[in-house]
Amino acid sequence: MARGVAVVGYSQSCHQQDMQMTREDMIFEVAKGALRNAGISREDVGTVITASTDFLDARTISNLYTSMAVGAYLKDESKVEEDGAFAVYYALMRILSDVHDIALVEAHTQGSVVNPHLVSSYTVDPLFERQYGFLNDISAAALQARVYMNKYGVSEEQVARVAVKNLVNAADNPNAHRKMPDLTVEEVLNSKLYYDPIRELTMSPVSDGACAVVLACEEKAKEITDKPVWIEGVGSCQDAYIRDRSLYELDSLQKAAQDAYEMAGVSDPFAQIDVFEVSEKFAHEELMIYEALGLCREGKGKALVEKGMTGKDGEIPVNPSGGALGADPVCATGLIRVIETAKQIRGEANGYQIPAYRALAHGQFGICAQKNIVFILRGE
Amino acid sequence: MRNVAIIGCGQTKHSGRRRDVNLAEMVGDAVWNALEDAQVSPLEVDAFAVGNMQGFGGVAQPEQWLGDWIGASGKPVLRITTGGSTGGSVAHGAFYAVASGLYDIAVATAWEKHSDSKEPGATTGLGHVGLGNMLNLVNCGVGFKHLLSMFVVGAAAGVACYQAMYYMHRSGCRVEHLDMVAAKDRRNAAKNKYAHLQWPGCTPEDIAKTEWIAYPFRYGHICPASDGASAMVLAREDIAKKRCKKPAWVKGLAAYSDEENQIMSEGAGGIGILDASQQIGATMSAIKAYKMAGINDPQKEIDLAEIYQPFPSQELLFAERLGLFDEGKAWQALEKGEMDINGRIPCDLSGGVNATNAIGSSALQRILECALQIMGKAEEHQVPKEVHNAVAHGWGGATNYITVTVLGDSPY
Repeated sequence: MARGVAVVGYSQSCHQQDMQMTREDMIFEVAKGALRNAGISREDVGTVITASTDFLDARTISNLYTSMAVGAYLKDESKVEEDGAFAVYYALMRILSDVHDIALVEAHTQGSVVNPHLVSSYTVDPLFERQYGFLNDISAAALQARVYMNKYGVSEEQVARVAVKNLVNAADNPNAHRKMPDLTVEEVLNSKLYYDPIRELTMSPVSDGACAVVLACEEKAKEITDKPVWIEGVGSCQDAYIRDRSLYELDSLQKAAQDAYEMAGVSDPFAQIDVFEVSEKFAHEELMIYEALGLCREGKGKALVEKGMTGKDGEIPVNPSGGALGADPVCATGLIRVIETAKQIRGEANGYQIPAYRALAHGQFGICAQKNIVFILRGE
Repeated sequence: MRNVAIIGCGQTKHSGRRRDVNLAEMVGDAVWNALEDAQVSPLEVDAFAVGNMQGFGGVAQPEQWLGDWIGASGKPVLRITTGGSTGGSVAHGAFYAVASGLYDIAVATAWEKHSDSKEPGATTGLGHVGLGNMLNLVNCGVGFKHLLSMFVVGAAAGVACYQAMYYMHRSGCRVEHLDMVAAKDRRNAAKNKYAHLQWPGCTPEDIAKTEWIAYPFRYGHICPASDGASAMVLAREDIAKKRCKKPAWVKGLAAYSDEENQIMSEGAGGIGILDASQQIGATMSAIKAYKMAGINDPQKEIDLAEIYQPFPSQELLFAERLGLFDEGKAWQALEKGEMDINGRIPCDLSGGVNATNAIGSSALQRILECALQIMGKAEEHQVPKEVHNAVAHGWGGATNYITVTVLGDSPY
């Protein structure tokens, strides 16, 4: 990369259902919190990138009202209409190009205002799939899960283990939404069935939440903090539309991860990366993510979770924060992964700390994780 | 900063209803035209920046469905949306993708297919922009009168009425000058084969015969709702020099937003800006973009401008904000013909947004038209002089979003 860029401050809300706060208040608090965490003021910020979608915000040009809350006014600013991890990607580009030095990135969704599953049915092909009304994010994920499970002989119990791991992990995370410290595989398998095999506890909850990070170029980062979290690599990729791709693999994630590994000089992710924070909107996707990230061979994701290797005490801890199953404020979810890895690297993950030098954060957007983005971060 | 140039441009024909193509095919047309113009294979494109007005056309995240039509599968795609200024923001996104050093060739594409929506977008009512905030505002103690006024002001046209009145009061500009701007833009559009409202030989008198919509706007002043798409190919310096005889270099850019949006101040009784013609974000963006481009005196150094003007008062207002004419004097320059094709600083030779408004695409088209003029590819509406520097402007939100982009014929 042309110049070093680091995460120097972050803040996130306590993600929950039906938050008793306006969207603007929620955003103001995390934006202010991130600046306070970095120890800088709004005047120091050069550019602001926000992330949300108009459908999820239920307003046309929804950033009209959030620009003020996030403090983007009278700044060189923009908005990405997808996951907040892509906002980090855009802010990173802006800093790398030497035009800006410090960026504030914010993402939010209040899922309890507009149901994100309803919105997902507006993202399918309007001329064909939407007319049938069969496809939404859950039904498409059910197809994905079945295709994957049939191809590699993965059982529902093995998928349920992912949910147990993440929801038990979430119990230690003060910001998580769905905390279930005593959850068992049986309880997961007995939870409400939505589209076979997707159950209430194998899909992410509908959460309200927001988060923000401050990024800075090398010179500024060193001035601002003793504990910068450097962005070593980034990769992003969009897959073909759902009917034109193989559903048993996450092809675009594999490409994104390869780009990020190459940029960061990571040749063996299993050995070189200490902790992973991934956006698994459905439990089976976490197994597919293991494979796409190159942590195991195709179809062997089930073995990692069976052997507890991705548990908090395992060799490659994945989602010690509880992941997207623990809290899923749609547009914020990927940015929360960046924050959680930064917390681990800075040693600030009280209660779920894992010794980490290098970490991976993953964000996704779209039906069956059509779009993926991967960041490799490291400490000093 | 790495130098970045526009090496290819593509557009579709704009009209009220493009029933011959669906959304994906229409965007595909623009992108393939741009790739062909740049002589770049789709396999060589490293990244895409895309966008349209959020929600218009009734598809959420349309790039996920239509990505395959533009060759974006297996590539990074960044969706950027900022309301009316979306196109400008998308172009900025593609610029930063290349300027960051992460990618070598990027495509920016933006579009709108108004006719797919039941109600043709933002020109009809502010209700669907403001509705989500109604209850919050009631909770905050905002009175019913103010809520009602959000509907009454009538979206972009309503907001622009207030803005025009402030501007006219301050500068001495009269409705006749708005007629002149609209007539000029429709005449210019007649020479642009992609434009929507084409009216060869249109005179201010013709415009003055059209009926009043809301003072100071007549029917003839107001932009259409168009279907159409536009796309540009951006590349890093060595590729641009090798592939393109005369690339248009991106020399400066900025997108400072205003302090408050217009709805918060006028309709909802907020504490924000009271004068919507102030547009401090535009001034700040212009200053920053000119500084980056090394332009000290835009009045002398800028050869032409593409201004985002769905309403004619905005062409005058923003020409001043971009520093092309003295404060409050743009209408006098218009009278002298300084904004015409042979004038000192020709404005909107393509006809601008006043003649063609596929909202998401509109601000991208401004940059694209400046690039065409620099590359000498504007065909019938090519300006009869050397173009060294051109400035493109985008406007959106409820008056608060601005993009300014300065292009030049050399990177230095």
